[in-house]
Amino acid sequence: MIETRCYVIALHDNGRVAEETYETAAFARRYVAADPCVVVLSGGGEIEPLAGRLADRTGLTVIGLAGDIVREYCAEAYTASLISFLRKKGNAFVCIPHTARGIDFAPQLSVGIGACCITAVEGAGEGTFIRSVYSGRFRSEVRPETPSAVLTVMPGAFKPEKGAMQGPGSVKIVPLRAFELSTKTRGTREAVHANMTLSRAEVVVSAGRGLGSAENLRLVEMLSGIFPKSAIGATRGVCDLGWLDYSHQIGTTGNTVAPRLYLACGISGAVQHVSGMKNSQLIVAINTDPDASIFRTAHFGIVEDLKVFIPLLVDMYREKHGDGDA
Amino acid sequence: MKILVCVKQVYDSPDTLVFNESSGRVEFGSHTVFRMNRYDEYAVEEALRIRERITGVAVDAVSVGPDRVRKTIRRALEMGADHGIHIRTGCETDLDPLERAHLIASLARGRRYDLILTGVMAEDDMQSQVGGLLAGILGFTCATGIISLEMHGNPREILLEREIEGGRRECLTLGFPCVLTIQSGINTPRYPSLSHVLRARSEELELIEAPSPAPSPPLLSVKRFLLPEEGEKGEIITGTPGEKAARLLSILREHSLL
Ligand SMILES: Cc1cc2nc3c(=O)[nH]c(=O)nc-3n(C[C@H](O)[C@H](O)[C@H](O)COP(=O)(O)OP(=O)(O)OC[C@H]3O[C@@H](n4cnc5c(N)ncnc54)[C@H](O)[C@@H]3O)c2cc1C
Ligand SMILES: Nc1ncnc2c1ncn2[C@@H]1O[C@H](COP(=O)(O)O)[C@@H](O)[C@H]1O
Repeated sequence: MIETRCYVIALHDNGRVAEETYETAAFARRYVAADPCVVVLSGGGEIEPLAGRLADRTGLTVIGLAGDIVREYCAEAYTASLISFLRKKGNAFVCIPHTARGIDFAPQLSVGIGACCITAVEGAGEGTFIRSVYSGRFRSEVRPETPSAVLTVMPGAFKPEKGAMQGPGSVKIVPLRAFELSTKTRGTREAVHANMTLSRAEVVVSAGRGLGSAENLRLVEMLSGIFPKSAIGATRGVCDLGWLDYSHQIGTTGNTVAPRLYLACGISGAVQHVSGMKNSQLIVAINTDPDASIFRTAHFGIVEDLKVFIPLLVDMYREKHGDGDA
Repeated sequence: MKILVCVKQVYDSPDTLVFNESSGRVEFGSHTVFRMNRYDEYAVEEALRIRERITGVAVDAVSVGPDRVRKTIRRALEMGADHGIHIRTGCETDLDPLERAHLIASLARGRRYDLILTGVMAEDDMQSQVGGLLAGILGFTCATGIISLEMHGNPREILLEREIEGGRRECLTLGFPCVLTIQSGINTPRYPSLSHVLRARSEELELIEAPSPAPSPPLLSVKRFLLPEEGEKGEIITGTPGEKAARLLSILREHSLL
């Protein structure tokens, strides 16, 4: 525990608090300070219910920064508003969920308050923080050398606390000053890639860059063919290469699936991919690299070249079962 | 309009990294091959596309690092960037993100860039910070994870879409100057053409020596590197390829999947 002043920045969308906010609050209480404050930014109408809900569930003091300028999420408005609020508070650790929005303003905020910035924190030691580096192959333990720090906390790394222990926390609403923005927000667009076939499939066979070429997709198709109710998934890497279209992408910025079986073929196991499939009931990975991170997620791992192993597996299946409709 | 693209050199594959038990550091193995950070290729490509659509655009590429990073700056020139800048550091190991951002910012300050592009994340340190830090230092606005970028005519603003969870998109308009961090998939990075490769060969890179030691002490210290946490590791199926296949089929049958 660092025992410094600590602020947890709540993130929310459409009136709903992002679950990662509670994970970040739990992290802050465990490793930074026993009584962090939660800060939530929003427009006039929405701030009280949001702040109230946060106070109920965390039992922590909640400060609502209210103003039209933050009615919708906007990095520029969040950064400037938080800087002017935090500058008056002296040294502090600021904890933010490491989501697409959190990481959108955290570094600028750190510069503005003269803090160091540590992103994607997934563990902590004695006054140190642990994060993955080198494609997830190693972790590094870093120590802030400044009295203030901005930390972004990896989704899923810490469990939210169950209910407020000490009853609801208090709420204080502070009005924000309006100012001229260079940013104009224009709302959100729903995902263009949502894929019902993937979310309904009982078996997902997924392709990674380890396929080597688009032609080798036929191997994945062949493997998927031996299962009824199966669908083909992919990593972002495969979609970026144009081997499959983005509707097949699984991960934080793609589809989330939880089939009975997930077969990962030539996939390294980047966190952004794993977060979209880790709740699958049975996970099997095929990869040539025995140290690939995917083997830490998989229930069963096979260290083989997929170009050799998939045909062998499918042939063996067919021999036993006759050709059938496979 | 002047655009600066930040390009980082990273290892081609993480399996060439070695963990030095005694120093507790991660080192590059002798077989390590280096290349441009993948997300930065999308940033270079996006800058070139802006130059193709709008007249009077110049694209500079910069990298901070030891001498080997010159190859990555050259790669940006081969793709079509106009000018390459190498901010040379003495050390093989990476500086912390803020030090890198300060070095790039001190270059950018005198040169009046309208737009600075970075990748959304470096594949090696996975910080996703340098773009935002640059914006903070320079007082530019910033948007991250850009998946669509539009500019028209004599632009005073840029129409952007940034990617958020689940593939949803946030739409916004930004004025200049700004920093954008580019997400993969926004375009298809071009392969260098022969004429650009030849031109890049004769092009001088601008060399700037990073002050050593850095003007301000780092705000962070790396205590040590660790191996990934041992989770409840699954089972690695062993044997000949045939035995592995037979075992896998029987596991799938036990789970009534076949
Ligand atoms: C903001 C952000 C969001 C992202 N969102 C997503 C997302 O939603 N989904 C997603 O997937 N990624 C996402 N990514 C990208 C992610 O970080 C990884 O880059 C990506 O998942 C890697 O894809 P890959 O495993 O196919 O490729 P690589 O990492 O290149 O791995 C290829 C693997 O194949 C193995 N291999 C090679 N040859 C063979 C062979 N012959 N047989 C068997 N194995 C072989 C290699 O050992 C290696 O492990 C995101 C990144 C960022 C920064
Ligand atoms: N040493 C460097 N030289 C040039 N650009 C860099 C360097 N380090 C990071 N960047 C840029 O900042 C982005 C994000 O890097 P990072 O914050 O390290 O994840 C990269 O995609 C690059 O565009």
